[in-house]
Amino acid sequence: MMDVWMLLGRRSLGVAVGLVTTLMMTLAGCSSTPPEQRADLRDPYEETNRKVFAFNMGVDSYVLEPVASGYRTVVPEGGRSAVSGHLRWASMPSTAVNSTLQGKFENAGLATLNFLVNGLTLGFADLTEGEDKVIQEDFGQTLASWDVPEGSYVMVPVLGPRTGRSLGGAVVDFAMNPLRVFGTGNTVQTINTAQGPVAAVNFRAQNFDTINDVKYNALDPYARTRSVYYQTRQGLLEDRVTSSAGSAVSEDEFDSLFEGESN
Amino acid sequence: MFRRHAIALVLSCLLLMPVSAGANDRESAAVALIDTMINDLKTFLATDTGDTQARTAEIDRLLSTYFDMDSITRFSVGQYWRAASSEQRSEYGKLLHDVLCGTIVRNFDQLYNLDYSAGGTTVKGDKFVIVQGTFIDTNGARAPVAVTWRVLTLEDQPPRVFDIEVENLSLLVTQKQENVAVIRKNKGDFQALINVMRERLETPLHEGS
Repeated sequence: MMDVWMLLGRRSLGVAVGLVTTLMMTLAGCSSTPPEQRADLRDPYEETNRKVFAFNMGVDSYVLEPVASGYRTVVPEGGRSAVSGHLRWASMPSTAVNSTLQGKFENAGLATLNFLVNGLTLGFADLTEGEDKVIQEDFGQTLASWDVPEGSYVMVPVLGPRTGRSLGGAVVDFAMNPLRVFGTGNTVQTINTAQGPVAAVNFRAQNFDTINDVKYNALDPYARTRSVYYQTRQGLLEDRVTSSAGSAVSEDEFDSLFEGESN
Repeated sequence: MFRRHAIALVLSCLLLMPVSAGANDRESAAVALIDTMINDLKTFLATDTGDTQARTAEIDRLLSTYFDMDSITRFSVGQYWRAASSEQRSEYGKLLHDVLCGTIVRNFDQLYNLDYSAGGTTVKGDKFVIVQGTFIDTNGARAPVAVTWRVLTLEDQPPRVFDIEVENLSLLVTQKQENVAVIRKNKGDFQALINVMRERLETPLHEGS
């Protein structure tokens, strides 16, 4: 089993690109729903996406939810926070590059500083505590800042919801992982390969009750996931997730309430 | 030339002043509404025994007192409100109220050990005021949560909460998009949404851990 992971580690970029290409070709082969029949105009492949979502929910029920539940029980809050810190640290080179590409030079500097300083602990302990918070930037956001169209909504097996643009960006970010760029040797590659599954479990554990509420209590978990994804993504694109300035939703959406008052 | 500009400036100021004063009043009213609601909730939490019925009654009271449930109900199904019959509208309103109550009661324990810190306000057009704030876990176990209250401030009507955004996620827009998806999946049948909601309320729900 370890050999498979090692092999994946060496060739994971190729595998990721291959997976994305296959997914794109599969979706291209699927018939899209005509716009007037779509529940959401951004989701032309809803029928296929719902099947992938059902598969992902199965993976969640049998793997992620129990593992995340155990992780929450066994690993104390401090340990989980250290893992989150490491994953955040590992994303700093990508943030630095993407901030530069978007012209956000201050954030790029902060990300570089954070990566260098916290590199002493591999991000497990935050040595820059109290300093300005770095706003994470990914290549999907960079593409958005270059006015690259968003593309359709796609539900990716195991990875979850994405837009065409964010999925393309994720592949580039994957290639920018510092352990991939600088890492050599079996240990580094094992850590590198483990980052994906650890990130998935960590995310599931961090949002355990929220995800369970969507999964078990939503009227339509697929539709709620799509709505949450788009709102969260919009917040990231406008750098609002950490700054909490303003509102995530267009004012037109709310003003529509007062159109045709008499109805 | 200068004199003409000066007169224009003075006139502009005079014209804008009442608007600005009105906006300030709306902001103050919105902030006061949120503060009163938070204090009300704190008072209840101080004497809460964990009884589900008492919690449901309290949430019911808070929703009726501080939230514009009529506008929320109407907004949460978008264009399909117009297609619904008056019976369907009335039944949907009750079900939505019960769904919201149930969701809050299910997650009620998360309201403990939270301190609220008020933030800034922004006037949005002539109907809404955005009030920002942050919930802080007094035990430090959870990261601070940014919250945005969208308060409806219509003329001659008391201000009422219309939407809550938690970490930039609008609860009302999420509910609306989910509801609309259910209706569209059922070829525009409003009754299908009512049936799904009724079924969901009758099914034993997963409790948060």
